[in-house]
Amino acid sequence: MSVAPRAATSAADLGLSDRRRSRGLRAGIRDNVTPYLLLLPTIAVLVGVLAWPLYWLGRISFEHFGLEELIAHKGTWTGLDNYREILGNREFWHIVLRTVVFTVVNVGLTMLFSTLIALLLVRMGRFMRVALLVGLVWVWATPVVVAITIWQWMVDFQFGVFNWAITKLHIANLVHYNWFDNSLTGFAVITAVVVWGAIPFAAITIYAGLSQVPQELVEAAEVDGARPWQVFRRVTFPLVKPIFVIITSLSIIWDFQVFNQVWIMLENRPSPDYYLLSVFAFVSSFRVSQYGLGAAISVVMVLLMLSVSFVYVRQMIQISEVDQ
Amino acid sequence: MNLRYVVAAALAVAVAAGAPTAGARTDGADAAKATTLTVWLMTDAQGPDWAAVVSAANRAFEAAHPDANVKVEIQTWGDHLTKLDAALAGGRAPDVIELGNTETTKYMAAGALANITSSKARFPNNKTWLKALTGSCTYQARLFCVPYYAGARAVIYRKDHYGAVGMRKAPTTLDQFVSYGKKVMARHKGDSNYSALYFPGKYWYAGMAFVYDYGGAIARFKKGKWVGTLNSPQAIAGLTKLKATVRALSRANRSGTEANQWTVFSQGHVGADIANGWEWGLISDPKIGDPALAPVLGAFPMPSHKKGKFMPTFLGGSDLAIPASSSNRALAVDWIRAYTATPMMRQLTSAAGVIPNTTSLVGINASKPTLAPFARAATSSWFVPTAPNWVNVENAQVLQNMLAEIFTGRRTIKSAADRASAQITQILNSR
Repeated sequence: MSVAPRAATSAADLGLSDRRRSRGLRAGIRDNVTPYLLLLPTIAVLVGVLAWPLYWLGRISFEHFGLEELIAHKGTWTGLDNYREILGNREFWHIVLRTVVFTVVNVGLTMLFSTLIALLLVRMGRFMRVALLVGLVWVWATPVVVAITIWQWMVDFQFGVFNWAITKLHIANLVHYNWFDNSLTGFAVITAVVVWGAIPFAAITIYAGLSQVPQELVEAAEVDGARPWQVFRRVTFPLVKPIFVIITSLSIIWDFQVFNQVWIMLENRPSPDYYLLSVFAFVSSFRVSQYGLGAAISVVMVLLMLSVSFVYVRQMIQISEVDQ
Repeated sequence: MNLRYVVAAALAVAVAAGAPTAGARTDGADAAKATTLTVWLMTDAQGPDWAAVVSAANRAFEAAHPDANVKVEIQTWGDHLTKLDAALAGGRAPDVIELGNTETTKYMAAGALANITSSKARFPNNKTWLKALTGSCTYQARLFCVPYYAGARAVIYRKDHYGAVGMRKAPTTLDQFVSYGKKVMARHKGDSNYSALYFPGKYWYAGMAFVYDYGGAIARFKKGKWVGTLNSPQAIAGLTKLKATVRALSRANRSGTEANQWTVFSQGHVGADIANGWEWGLISDPKIGDPALAPVLGAFPMPSHKKGKFMPTFLGGSDLAIPASSSNRALAVDWIRAYTATPMMRQLTSAAGVIPNTTSLVGINASKPTLAPFARAATSSWFVPTAPNWVNVENAQVLQNMLAEIFTGRRTIKSAADRASAQITQILNSR
């Protein structure tokens, strides 16, 4: 529904002279071309930074591509060999499962805490709300590498303030307790960092959505005797559902490909217990120079992510259609 | 309803936040004025004594080539190969690179390094180069790099701490050393950070020495195929002894690495560590260490479990190579000649404490109490399997992860060794 056809129709409806009508038509064609011309730079950029690398990724995933091929800029076609090797590798499926569980936990915690904080923001007084928002934006503004390094120091096995505080408070004796010795506690720390970093965006967006909910609807429900939980579930949530859908799908996409938090936290040397799909793909490519294998892992990862987010994207499109 | 705008704004912000921040890349705009020779050296060359040698070599080189200037870029061992691969793929590799002697084979086999056989006669001391390093530079009878320096590890210890429990001279067996260490631990039981032998979990150069001491090996070549052998009875015996030793004497991070262990040593909570010769100077360096420690430091070769023998030490070292894609090959050869010239190597040997690249200079350190133990340790050594793919085992952290699993108890020694052996077999035999 671009503006141009509508303008043309209205010109016709007004019963203007032939000459003026033809000029209007020409203007219509010009108006039809202009949007595409304006899109060209964007398309060129997208092809350059997205389509071209994706083409290479796909191509390399069907090739034997090691150091020799990297230097020669030329791989050898091996068909589905890389995919067969990955899909037949039991460790790969462990990593897929680990990545899925990691994503579910992280997205769940992100959504839970963000919603709670957003609800809190709605109910707060002006001063506290600004204070909390500033705090959230601060977290958001912290560069991820800096944030991870600070967390790493805080949970350091020897000098970390976290172990020190827990020990001083007599909650537990964490002297020389290494969180990363065990991948379960290690992932707990990584999850904390990921969720901590994801909350600001999600919470502020949900808060923005909540502040759009008409107060009359909430009041009407309360007059009818609805409890707070019922108000949220039956009135507020359905109204801001599109926001939840989009934040959830974005979180899934982000958390499915978490890399920095694992890689930097574990000093560029994560043990296999810490491999997520992204880390596995990186190690296969850049650590052992099996770029074909690494590319195939990335392709599988993209496909998995697409299938997961497809549901959400479809729902999103439906919502936007309804909304219009 | 305004919800649509909120969604749109959220998406816009998400896209903006997700956009990668492009790193500025400075192009060689000054190339027209003079030729810039880019040299990648490792972090070790940052120490004050070492850096002095590098600048002396640069001055000598630039005096001979007024139209060229040298740009030395310091790399870290953890990621220099990743960077090198990226540079090779992008066709912007440096002109000279330092490679560890376990890293060269893969690059020689892949054709990444320039064949410098015809220039061999022009390099200083080429007839007396250390055999082990020359071997790591030779592939199919052609020369692809120049030996740079070697290093052997020995025990650096606090004479005051170990002297207090009655250790007057170097222990002659591993058990004797461990029993002294246990006494030192007992004397420092008030210090919960104290290690009688600081041994971070992923210190595989030192860890594998135990395997070789008990007659084991990382991998062996059998019937045309590499086989990981860390689960052999000998290797298991070595790993068992290693775990007991580390558990008894070390409170270092069981999943940590030996990077910067000299800094930890200089903080006073360490009785001994297994270190390269040049770390002695770093521990007592006024800037990054503690000069007060200089008089109480001592060193001895790590004793074997067999009386009177030394535990084999990893014969590490570095080579200097020229990537095949370098357009300044002649200049690069000249720079390497300047840097490995006899006066430079002599200074590097005596001041920085390395084992020089030529046997003609090995005698320099024999009379020095700070360096002689390392030279003696080098008489009994082990080296990694000479498979072209070996460095991939290092890069995949197979041994580091196995050791961390053993020390933390995440896996039993047998199960960790089985898994590592299988991985090594797979990596060494892959194309």
